[in-house]
Amino acid sequence: MGKEDFNLLKWMATYDKRWTYLLLFILVLLPMIYPIGMPISVSELTKEYYEQLETLEEGDIVLDSWSTEYSGYMELKPGMISSHKYFIKNGIKLFICLGHPEGLALVQALLDEELKSYMEKYDYTYGEDYIILGTALPNQAATLAMATDFQGSVKVDWKGDSIQGTFLDRIETGADIDMISDYTTGAGNPGLINHIVLTFGTPMIQNQIGVSLPGSLANKDAGLITGLLASTRGGSELELLVNEPGPGLIAMDAFTLGHYLLIIFIVIGNIGYFGWAKRVSEERERTTIR
Amino acid sequence: MSWFFKSKQVNLAILVASFMMGFVPYFLEVPQVYGFANTLTMVSAVVGQFAIVIAIYSQYRRSLRFISERRKGWVYNIYLLVLMSVMILMGFLVGEHHASYMWLVNSIVAPCSSVVYGILAFYMFSAGARAFRARSLKAALLIIAGITVLLYQAPLTGAYFPGISPYAVFLTEKVGMSLNRMFSIAIITGAIMLNVRMLTGRELAFMGFVGEEGS
Repeated sequence: MGKEDFNLLKWMATYDKRWTYLLLFILVLLPMIYPIGMPISVSELTKEYYEQLETLEEGDIVLDSWSTEYSGYMELKPGMISSHKYFIKNGIKLFICLGHPEGLALVQALLDEELKSYMEKYDYTYGEDYIILGTALPNQAATLAMATDFQGSVKVDWKGDSIQGTFLDRIETGADIDMISDYTTGAGNPGLINHIVLTFGTPMIQNQIGVSLPGSLANKDAGLITGLLASTRGGSELELLVNEPGPGLIAMDAFTLGHYLLIIFIVIGNIGYFGWAKRVSEERERTTIR
Repeated sequence: MSWFFKSKQVNLAILVASFMMGFVPYFLEVPQVYGFANTLTMVSAVVGQFAIVIAIYSQYRRSLRFISERRKGWVYNIYLLVLMSVMILMGFLVGEHHASYMWLVNSIVAPCSSVVYGILAFYMFSAGARAFRARSLKAALLIIAGITVLLYQAPLTGAYFPGISPYAVFLTEKVGMSLNRMFSIAIITGAIMLNVRMLTGRELAFMGFVGEEGS
């Protein structure tokens, strides 16, 4: 039995999917090691998000909601870093509320590692400029309590230290919050919209992962979210706008190449389908009919 | 007294009253009702947290059965139980801010979480490449739309061919969003219908009154 002749069209229709894994792996890895620095465009969505950031003034208080697990942080990282750099640089006061148990890891990854030198540079200190409340927004009920009676429902920070005498003394209800900045991997905490945005008209910006974007786009279209940052792509665009290049822009080379590779494989698959698979199946049908 | 709690009418009355307490504040400003609705929401959230206890119990039971029966992947269940027990014990004994608990979070939970998410990219890539076949006119239209959005999503394209943006934005912000809304409306409509059936006593299985509903 001789070896079957190589048929390119057949290969295109039936290639081993591990080829896609290998090529994608190479195309993601190489630009990370040797960045190309491909130019990128800034979408209207990101420009609007940035305009919302610019409405904040020094001393304004932002509810910083991290409703993401560590895996989602990988996708939101560029947006989280560049948004927080903007907050730090402009003296915006943040109270960070975690919405997921894995949020504990984010505190170390983002504040103690990524932003540490930046916070030191701008003398951004704990207690005076930002406070971590821990897993303070796990559900709608907690959000509702915080929105209607902040001082009654929140008394200590995540380590159990009193928040009295800090900038949080200025907050009585959701009306005293100047903006909500939400980082989420899905529906997030609907309580933010239901009990703060809708009740007090507080503006809310959101950094959302790619697969959950359609839902957030609908919220933005309805005016419930005033700014929306889309996934890693949006984060990298924000890095450009705030002039703070970071992991997002580095990832964009791999992002571009990965997308182009997928298009190439879609084309290859269709050539294989029309050149071989469809013909074989039609021939089979004809044989069966005879 | 047990007849009181077992009574279908009493349970239904409590259900309707609770519903009204949550529903009315959306339309009428009655501070007393609003306060009661807030309390009710908090009570339901607190009660909901008890589900965690059931989840932990179920996971232990399931994993122990896997291990005792040496089913496929039973070794991973040992790993799962060990980590779960260690996390629970550390959480109770030293608290979530202790260095050892944070080590578990940063060294095991965070990397595992990232890896699971990262691996998805390969599966989605492969599935996307094989699913987009022009087997029909509808599939061909889907491919055209998909490739347009993919090209737009690749940052380099926008930098050199900005003309693609209006088409991709139309597909994502108009077509995609409208489909998402349709999906949401379908879910909400279904939920309203189910709730009306519950409130009118036609759907009472969730309260334990199986087979007693009306049509």
